Amino acid sequence: MLENSSILQFIVVSYLAGSALSFVPRHGKLSSVLIFVPSMTAAVFEIILSLGVLFGNPLKITITNSSFDLFGFDILVDNISAFFILVIGLVSFAVAMYSIGYAKEYHKKKTSFGFLFNTFLLSMFLVVIANNVFSFLVFWEIMSLTSFFLVIFDHEKSENLKAGLLYLTMTHFGTAFIFGSFLLSSVQTGSFSFDSFRHLENSNSLIKNASFVFALIGFGTKAGMVPFHNWLPKAHPVAPSNVSALMSAVMLKVAIYGLIRITFDFNTVTQEYVWWGVLITLIGAASSVIGVLYAVLENDIKKALAFSSIENIGIIFVGIGLAMVFNAYNLASLAGLALTASMFHVLNHAIFKSLLFMGSGSILFSTKTKNMEFLGGLAKKMPYTSVLFLIGSLSIAGLPPFNGFVSEWLTLQAIMMSSQIPDVLLKVLLGIVILPVALTAGVAAVTAVKIFGISFLSRPRSDSASNAFEVPRTMIAGMTLLALFAISLGVLPLIGINLISLAFDIQAPQRGPFDPISIQNTSGESFANLSILSIIMLLGIVAIGTYLFIRILGKNPQRKIYETWDCGFGKLDQKTQYTAASLSQPIRTIFKFLYKPTLTVNREPHSQSNKFVKKSSSVESKTIDVFELWFYLPATSFCIKFFEKIRRMQTGKVNAYLLYIMIALMLLLIFARFGS
Amino acid sequence: MFADFNATRVILGVLQAFLLVLFAPLITGIMKKVKARTQKRVGASIFQPYYDIIKLIKKDETVSEQSSWVFRLNPWINFVAITTATLFVPVVMAYSPFGIAGDILLILGLYGLARFFLILAGLDVSSVFGGLGSSREMMMSSIVEPAIFIMVLSVAIVYGGTDVSTIVNSAAQSPLLIPTTIFAAISLFIIILAETGRLPFDNPATHLELTMIHEAMVLEYSGKSLALIEWSKSIKQITLLALLINIFVPFGISSDVSALTLGLGLISFVIKAVLFGILIAFLETRVAKWRLFRIPDLIAIAIASSLIGTTIFYIG
Repeated sequence: MLENSSILQFIVVSYLAGSALSFVPRHGKLSSVLIFVPSMTAAVFEIILSLGVLFGNPLKITITNSSFDLFGFDILVDNISAFFILVIGLVSFAVAMYSIGYAKEYHKKKTSFGFLFNTFLLSMFLVVIANNVFSFLVFWEIMSLTSFFLVIFDHEKSENLKAGLLYLTMTHFGTAFIFGSFLLSSVQTGSFSFDSFRHLENSNSLIKNASFVFALIGFGTKAGMVPFHNWLPKAHPVAPSNVSALMSAVMLKVAIYGLIRITFDFNTVTQEYVWWGVLITLIGAASSVIGVLYAVLENDIKKALAFSSIENIGIIFVGIGLAMVFNAYNLASLAGLALTASMFHVLNHAIFKSLLFMGSGSILFSTKTKNMEFLGGLAKKMPYTSVLFLIGSLSIAGLPPFNGFVSEWLTLQAIMMSSQIPDVLLKVLLGIVILPVALTAGVAAVTAVKIFGISFLSRPRSDSASNAFEVPRTMIAGMTLLALFAISLGVLPLIGINLISLAFDIQAPQRGPFDPISIQNTSGESFANLSILSIIMLLGIVAIGTYLFIRILGKNPQRKIYETWDCGFGKLDQKTQYTAASLSQPIRTIFKFLYKPTLTVNREPHSQSNKFVKKSSSVESKTIDVFELWFYLPATSFCIKFFEKIRRMQTGKVNAYLLYIMIALMLLLIFARFGS
Repeated sequence: MFADFNATRVILGVLQAFLLVLFAPLITGIMKKVKARTQKRVGASIFQPYYDIIKLIKKDETVSEQSSWVFRLNPWINFVAITTATLFVPVVMAYSPFGIAGDILLILGLYGLARFFLILAGLDVSSVFGGLGSSREMMMSSIVEPAIFIMVLSVAIVYGGTDVSTIVNSAAQSPLLIPTTIFAAISLFIIILAETGRLPFDNPATHLELTMIHEAMVLEYSGKSLALIEWSKSIKQITLLALLINIFVPFGISSDVSALTLGLGLISFVIKAVLFGILIAFLETRVAKWRLFRIPDLIAIAIASSLIGTTIFYIG
């Protein structure tokens, strides 16, 4: 058996080797193998390491010199890290396998891609094992920067650069708050080690609250929580699809990891801090609704998926928040339920979202477009991809028997359990949270239907869609792997749930993977049970019964293939089918307070004398992001005005600067004399 | 009470699910008859839905050349998912042996699965009708969802579970309606109208493109596929009615396994189901279809109703 520490070294060395090997100048298939096989090896070692830690002992490596602990590189792989390493390992293995085929898209710039890809993965791995402020922030920053360069990888398009810059700004905005939060904590403890944060007794509640809010804003920005989400739907879609998969599936989870560290490891939420949990729950509910309502309108597949990441992060937040509230009221088993729900959703979202992003990458690879309005009919052209994409869609829609259903089920159960909280007002408030979560579930299903239905079914809407072809085998293999995870975690959810109970030290009764999930109510009766395995068997039995019934009763009817009914008007073509925009039009009308849709009809008459004979007419429909309108635009214009005021100081005259220096010096002297 | 798991109960559980599946077209037939009579028509026999299903199963079928395997698979998925959901609903006895495998949320999940494929099938044939129906169904399903879940929440907090057996058991033991359950019942009734495509949400009797939702999605189906879809629609309707009946008016439901109580339970269920069917059919002749974008108002009533019920329960 390998030592955990040597596995850790293997992981780092593999990633470094992948980064280095991408500089070996070779073209063709071999170079992609050289780049991505090290990432896959590292991913395998990550899974081994994570299981080794979960079922064994935590791994701790201290490099810091105690006299100079600001710049330390301490490493601690405990159970929480191990869970997130598992998520990274599972997803990055599949994504790396997919990338071998997908890299053809980027064969001219494979070198830089390989370097950034491996460094990005390495940095995410290092973030979740860092054990002091300095190393955490350094790895965090490497993660942000490499992902920034990956976002602007197609830097020829100015739109991508713009999205990249927005991402860079927002991620540093977040980092500043994380830094602030850590500083506040270290002021309390006098140390920069995470170990000292864990043993923070009787601290000042004001500083503790401020530190929490800073951490929430910091990690929330990276996770895409409302209202700091606007970078996500812009940056994720423009990155290469395998990177989008990693960013949505893994990088957002690293932010969740940070939040979990702060709220569950460094602090314990007592009744005084119950509002932390309430705040996170409400923000989560808001994020989920906002995310999904914008996702359903999007006609760009990757943008819709990016918005749906905001939604899923919202659902994860709801679980985390509820767990904190339950903890505050000493309802340990319910807190365990809520945390399990949320962490299981972390795992599930990582799986199905990377599956779907890779699927959209395959569509892009094959048709060169990710706009649904130009797709259609791909189910016949790309049979394997379509089935895999359908599995991802069913999973993200939260339908049985796939994994998304189980975590959504658990989250809903956790919300219902809020009835056991003694505080009436809080009970009502958290009970109402079921409304946004249910709306999210409903609209998320509809979004998945829209993406799959418009892209893969009916007639091709453009030439590129009718010339689509099935993607290379490695790409299908990577997606198949994740689809299998999605199914097996759906059918046997207790595999995942048991791992989570182990990782987060949740006191749950030990259950085998084939047992049902069961929840008891206060009087000991069964509140709810769920066993997807039994349901699959029931579905199978009913299906066989139905088939036999129809066969026996129906003798042997013929099936005729004929054209779709056209009301007798003649040939139907690609223009006569529903479009993506019209499909979501009723939803757009209902929620128009959020979208503020505008419809402009441009008519150009043949001559001014007769306006009724038209030369051309066009219709343009637009929706607005209200956050952009009410939050970001005022904020940016305020910043610009503020800095313009400050700019007046910059006169360019040396005398003025000397004056400033003198004033500063005098103020400092006065402070030194009379301050303290 | 029903902690022990034995063969008799499993068989009874399967039988009561069979009852729903077989009884479903009859309720549809009765509703059609009542509607016809209130409109001063003679109407078809109440067994007409059975004749239709049998006839359709025997007929040849036509499939659009544009469609993919999703279109062909959808009727089967619909029927199997909706029929499996009936196994989880107590009908005659206040217990379903399959409660250990799933709860109300699972039933809703299975309906969601069926609907997912139905909407896809509507899109698959690349006719405008299908897309139109799918688009409207998407809207309906997404706004109905909050109403359903807040209703489930209010029922769950009153009766201590989302496990249908637990709910029906507690309801059967304390059959007095409290304000919360009355509000939840109102909301479930509205939800049933929406979910089964009755007026004022959707007109089940029309093929006019301006008004239809469900019919538009299944317009391209014929033969045994259509039979499966029509039948599963009836089954869904009666399953939801069974939930409404057994949660809110569980009088007469059997809580043990003796022939007498089971027979009583069967008779009372059939009477109640027929009464509710007549009520819905009668309502349908009294209201016109609402404009599509007024439907959210009706859903809002359902949401508000459950919300009031929940709040009353917490405060009271």
